[in-house]
Amino acid sequence: MVDTESQDIETATTTLQSAPDAKTRRYDRQLRLWAATGQAALELSRILVLSSDATSTSILKNLVLPGIGHFTILDDARVSPADAGNNFFLEGPRSIGKSRAEEAVRLLLEMNDGVQGVADTRSFDSIMDTDKDWFSSFTLIISHNLHPTRLDKLSNLLSSNSSAPPLIIVRSSAFLAEFFIQFHEHTIIESHSETAPSLRIDKPFPALLQHALSLDYEKMDSTEHGHTPYVYILVKAMEGWKKSHGGNPPKTTDERKEFKKGILALQRNIDEENFEEAEAQAYRCWAETKVPSEIAQLFNDPALEPAAHAQSRQPFFHLLAALKRFTEEVEPHTLPLTSTLPDMKADTTSYIHLQRLYKARAEEEKAIFQTFLDKNVDIDEDVIDLFLKNAHGLQVLRGRRWGEFERDTDAFSGALASYPKETCIHLALSALANLTVKQPGVAPTAEALRGEVLAIVGQGTELPDALDEAIGELERAPAAELPNTAALLGGLVAQEAIKMITKQYVPIKGYAVIDLIDTTTATLG
Amino acid sequence: MSLSAAQPNGTSPSDWQDRYWHVDQVLEKPGPRTDPSFLAGREVQEFLRDKCKILVIGAGGLGCEILANLALTGFKDIHVIDMDTIDVSNLNRQFLFRPADVGKPKAIVAAEFIMNRVPGVIVTPYYGKIQDKDHEYYMQFNLVICGLDSVEARRWINATLVSMVDSDNPESLKPLIDGGTEGFKGQARVILPTITSCYECSLDMLNKPTTFPICTIANTPRLPEHCIEWASVLEWPKVHGDQKLDTDDPEHISWLYGVAFKRAKEFNIEGVTWSLTQGVVKNVIPAIASTNAVIAAACCNEAFKIATSSAAYLNNYFMLIGTDGVYSYTFEHEKREHCPVCGGEALEISINHDWTVEQLMEMLTEKQDIQIKKPSLSTPLKPIYFQQPPQLEKNTRPNLEKKVSDLVAAGGEVTVTSTTLPFSLSLIINYT
Ligand SMILES: [Zn+2]
Repeated sequence: MVDTESQDIETATTTLQSAPDAKTRRYDRQLRLWAATGQAALELSRILVLSSDATSTSILKNLVLPGIGHFTILDDARVSPADAGNNFFLEGPRSIGKSRAEEAVRLLLEMNDGVQGVADTRSFDSIMDTDKDWFSSFTLIISHNLHPTRLDKLSNLLSSNSSAPPLIIVRSSAFLAEFFIQFHEHTIIESHSETAPSLRIDKPFPALLQHALSLDYEKMDSTEHGHTPYVYILVKAMEGWKKSHGGNPPKTTDERKEFKKGILALQRNIDEENFEEAEAQAYRCWAETKVPSEIAQLFNDPALEPAAHAQSRQPFFHLLAALKRFTEEVEPHTLPLTSTLPDMKADTTSYIHLQRLYKARAEEEKAIFQTFLDKNVDIDEDVIDLFLKNAHGLQVLRGRRWGEFERDTDAFSGALASYPKETCIHLALSALANLTVKQPGVAPTAEALRGEVLAIVGQGTELPDALDEAIGELERAPAAELPNTAALLGGLVAQEAIKMITKQYVPIKGYAVIDLIDTTTATLG
Repeated sequence: MSLSAAQPNGTSPSDWQDRYWHVDQVLEKPGPRTDPSFLAGREVQEFLRDKCKILVIGAGGLGCEILANLALTGFKDIHVIDMDTIDVSNLNRQFLFRPADVGKPKAIVAAEFIMNRVPGVIVTPYYGKIQDKDHEYYMQFNLVICGLDSVEARRWINATLVSMVDSDNPESLKPLIDGGTEGFKGQARVILPTITSCYECSLDMLNKPTTFPICTIANTPRLPEHCIEWASVLEWPKVHGDQKLDTDDPEHISWLYGVAFKRAKEFNIEGVTWSLTQGVVKNVIPAIASTNAVIAAACCNEAFKIATSSAAYLNNYFMLIGTDGVYSYTFEHEKREHCPVCGGEALEISINHDWTVEQLMEMLTEKQDIQIKKPSLSTPLKPIYFQQPPQLEKNTRPNLEKKVSDLVAAGGEVTVTSTTLPFSLSLIINYT
């Protein structure tokens, strides 16, 4: 709850704000998750969805409601009686025979007048033949049960151009489903990581150390003593310990116990919770603050190499390069300090004083960080602040092409061993798709499906019993698009789309496979 | 023409050919994981479409989704209860409502929308509280789906459905499917009252609500939240006397914001905003359409599988975390032996010999697996403390300061009740 407020907190506290406007009130419950920056990204987005079947309209519903900018449905189908029965964004028998895309767009738009949408009733093939750059004009493309030949063409087209949009590929049949995001590169500043940045108690900055050492417990009255923040208590205790232990922190279990005992011994009476807090937080003294390994790994990213870096227009990599230099050149070789301070037992004055020490130091380190930024690049101050505040949770994802997973023998056999059921569902859905090309209009038999699976994985591959269960479900209801499966995919896929568009939170890495009989999900590859 | 002119496959006059083409594929044929008792075809279609009566509790974020899914899968006799009216902040996810509906009852607007959009489905709304209804009312349903944001209401319906189970009457066991969401996270579960773990069994899984000690709020504020609590808990009653704070009234929030802002400035605390003020006093939980869609679909999918036996159903808890990839965990939550609702056994607790009745009551309110607000206490022989009626409250009030050990012998039994919960908790008290 507090986290999402961060932006307002830092910028808007000097003057009294008026009550929020209508739009802020409407979006209040989601702004608490992705803030105004995430909302702005959504409102700039243009989404293409390659069908208006029940799954596609369910996905769109969950994108129209939070307020994407614009969507296009590409679909030349007319509403069938079966469509009218399983799709909430058609009006039953009244819609039968009309353009499915036009009906869906009309009913989707009723939910949010801040969103624009159009129905495009051209055929996929004609656009692919004559106007294929059109596909690259969107922020994100989503396909559900797209014919495999078309899917291959589209996935090829988008993967061959590094500035082409991500493609979310969704497949489902009755109770089984999966989806995958094909993209080039995805950088995340606001991953909303649940770990907090270090307070650097083990490596206190000068002003913190100085203030902690200046404290004299003897001279404090009982109120002051019982309200000394644990940060000072620990920094002071560590200095004392190091002096008598050759400059080393407590290392062994016994030493750590002794250190903690020393802290509790400072307590004048058992009501002084601040010393109890200090004892509980003592691990911060020996948990060394260093660059987290995930972040250190990002410093080896090919995009940081001088040649690549110069061409890269993404501010993210300029910031990352500066961060790398900061950790290399500035003592104590950690990430820049953030001013985020957790609550702790303290009186107002000492807490606010501590907060200001952190804030001042964070500002100093930010100024140093800025000197490492490429002078020729103009990066918004807000972006720099956001980057530094979230530096411990940065992520760079590099996507894979659709279909690469099956060709990666190691990854594939690993998945088969760890997630036999989900891997079999994935294979069975691929087999079903292949059969629609090889035997269009023919109901797939279990035998044909099994044959297709073996064609994918290679004859002689040993496959678990779970394959028969997956194949059996597909043979039972190959073309069934159940309303609940469609709705569940609608939610999951929209969540991932929102993460891709806002560049906040972390999208799936691989294939999300869903089994709505046992009600389980797993991520493969 | 006779009225009972049988329509094929449980269809009715409002159905059109192929209306249920998709759903029928799983109703006309079993799959490898379908129970052998599944009656594929006409019988199950007829039950679903003509006989099954389902109750949806809540017509909000989950409820809107649940109603739409049930209607599309073929449930035709749906009832919905909700005591709320529509607010503008609902419109980012409660997709059956439009700006012109703000202020109207959710249950009624949602029911009308579904009946308009999905022909032949009857949705019967009740604009009111679940507590208004009795056992006879709940007995008419085959299934209950709950999409609520209130712990109290869930505990109430859970305890009610458990208490309705009569082992001589299999019809009295009403499966309860419960969903809940917060931001990108959520859960769906199937409760078979008295058979599987119930809502009360898992009370300790709830996040503890954030509370701020009153002395911090009054004397040593550090966070913007402390200033907001000061404004709402201490200043509001001081300035407005008996006028109740209405957290839905923007005027009231604005007043609190102004007061909290001033206090924060005085103490050099940063971060009091309008939105944070509203968030703290209303205990706002972030909510988005997509998470509600996932959880509601999971709930409705279980309802569909239970009603039709077309596939095995969830045993018994599905948890989703969507912040980092799609992570979910499906597991069997176990019954709690001492569950006051479905466990039957008294809970043994040890307390300090010197504890007063008031201290015991504080523990009952705060302990994660009990959480009984405003408890009333009695021994089998006499009342210890009763919150109501006023005369009894007055008569028993002096006991609050007495030691429990002076009123209850070691190993003695204490019964705890609360007006908000339809069950009582039996405690066996020992002293340390
Ligand atoms: Zn229970």
